[in-house]
Amino acid sequence: MEKLITLDHISKYFYLGGRQTLVAVNDVSLDIYKGETLGVVGESGCGKSTLGRVVMGIYHPTKGKLCYRGKEVNLKHTGDRYRYSEKAQIIFQDPYASLDPRMTVGTIIAEGMEIHKLYDREKRQQRVYELLETVGLNREHANRFPHEFSGGQRQRIGIARALAINPEFIVCDEPISALDVSIQSQIINLLKDLQKKFGLTYMFIAHDLNIVKYISNRIAVMYLGNLVELADSDEVYAHTLHPYSRALLAAVPIPDPDREAHKKAAVIKGDVPSPINPKPGCPFANRCPYAKDVCRSVSPKPRELRPGHLVSCHLVDADGNYSEANYKG
Amino acid sequence: MERILDIKDLEVSFDTYAGEVHAVRGVSLHVDAGEALAIVGESGCGKSVTAQTVMKLNPMPPARIKGGKIDLCGRDIVAAGEKEMRGIRGQLVSMIFQDPMTCLNPTKKIGKQLTETLRKHKHLSRKQCRAEAVRLLKAVQIPNAEQRVDEYPHEFSGGMRQRAMIAMALSCNPKLLIADEPTTALDVTIQAQIMELMQEIRDKTGTSIILITHDLGVVANLADRVAVMYAGKIVEEGTARDIFYRAAHPYTTALLRSLPTVETARNEELVSIPGTPPDLYAPPEGCAFASRCRHCMKLCRHRQPPQFTVAQGHTAACWRLHPDFPREKEGN
Repeated sequence: MEKLITLDHISKYFYLGGRQTLVAVNDVSLDIYKGETLGVVGESGCGKSTLGRVVMGIYHPTKGKLCYRGKEVNLKHTGDRYRYSEKAQIIFQDPYASLDPRMTVGTIIAEGMEIHKLYDREKRQQRVYELLETVGLNREHANRFPHEFSGGQRQRIGIARALAINPEFIVCDEPISALDVSIQSQIINLLKDLQKKFGLTYMFIAHDLNIVKYISNRIAVMYLGNLVELADSDEVYAHTLHPYSRALLAAVPIPDPDREAHKKAAVIKGDVPSPINPKPGCPFANRCPYAKDVCRSVSPKPRELRPGHLVSCHLVDADGNYSEANYKG
Repeated sequence: MERILDIKDLEVSFDTYAGEVHAVRGVSLHVDAGEALAIVGESGCGKSVTAQTVMKLNPMPPARIKGGKIDLCGRDIVAAGEKEMRGIRGQLVSMIFQDPMTCLNPTKKIGKQLTETLRKHKHLSRKQCRAEAVRLLKAVQIPNAEQRVDEYPHEFSGGMRQRAMIAMALSCNPKLLIADEPTTALDVTIQAQIMELMQEIRDKTGTSIILITHDLGVVANLADRVAVMYAGKIVEEGTARDIFYRAAHPYTTALLRSLPTVETARNEELVSIPGTPPDLYAPPEGCAFASRCRHCMKLCRHRQPPQFTVAQGHTAACWRLHPDFPREKEGN
């Protein structure tokens, strides 16, 4: 498969002043292939949205580089940034905050095309109508303002805006978590249809594991800015290797009373540590039931334990057993 | 079993400039001692308003109880004045809110906030209160409770704040605990911790719980009985097993099937419910779900369906459950 986007040892720090550094993303390397959906999961504050924004070119990485089709994108270079933005678009989480309340829906959708000087005025208008129909709205909606729409409809407008300039790649930053359950499935189905129709590549960020499993081909699990596990989505569920991913999967409540009652309790203790000036060693060491001394001193590097399955853990082997013997300096 | 809460035909409206919002339109439900009832529904379906009315936390006006009865441990809540309510809140019923940060007072130490109800209702001294606060924090498994008592809410993490809220709600051993989306603002691993804690509390103290949520997974974990609300009405009520395995109302079935589970294959299309919930400024004449229902009949648009009994303790408001409805038609 063709690599569309490559993240090469990307880190993103935020300097808070007074020697405090917030490590939002720490040394993440991964490839995104053309036509796939890469799901990114993790708890709040794990850096998944920051990673999404780096991939989108909104933040430039503190370390590492971002490549598009094998060529490095220098996000500090305006021309590069401009050309890249024609290929990559984003759908935001909050459909209320992400649409300008003083612009009509038509102007919102056409803005990207104007910036990229695509089509003439009439063609643009035509395209706005087409896009509205593609995402399940009517052409009459083009002259209305965002406040006239419900949450689900607004999210559809956000999707139409992202599609306007024919991008290849869309970052979906929790596109459904602000929506009601009955509306969520509408948006998920729409995103899947659009992917089929236009051959889009998605990076799908979410904290709802069931939905990520449903929509993604591959899943990246993040914890405190680090990529802890990356594999095909069935593989992640069938052979969960990292202790954090295990805990995360076990914590998801199942909408089924009998199975929920028989689920073995695997609740992990404690809270996520602060990402400000993080300690060396494995980020999960303080909550991990298997942690040894080596975990508290040496940061684990991703290891490919099974084909295409990367895990950042010193102790685990390919069968999911934890032992210090698996640590090889 | 002892009946803790009995709500009959409750109707609550809000008077706004744009008109009257019919938030709760005839809700009847009951909670027995030691039982956990979950109220499930989408945002704006009236589930929070129902629960808040039990404690009369809605400012009146604009809220208005238009009709119905609320009986809480033999006390008539609808008739009760503000003074009487003050004796009831915290003592008989208490509430846990969704966002623990905005519900704790940022300028007061945790220990002090925690025992406000005790000082009010039980007239304990300062020293006794402090000891009690430490005991409560330990009961909700907050480490270093002795030091934590003297900290402010901002020094707590989200999960710990929610634990402190639970401790506060339980300080006077209320008969009924209302949890309004207690885990929505929390991460899944913390959510699992809080749910475990709530289960433990119920087993230990025998407090009845009303759990308000839109997350069906949380419901499956905690609830004995479930009431599904839609547009200000209860559309289906029954035990958790009734609702999850034998759902009778089309809204409940659609809701259950619209969620992907771990087993849902990627090429499977999710069942989505078309359209949006109705406008409660002008609620529809017939069944509120009619416009989105795939089984909708002519009758549904004009007449509101009453609650039909599906089985013992399992009711649903849908015309398809009428005894005269031809059963054999129900092929799909």
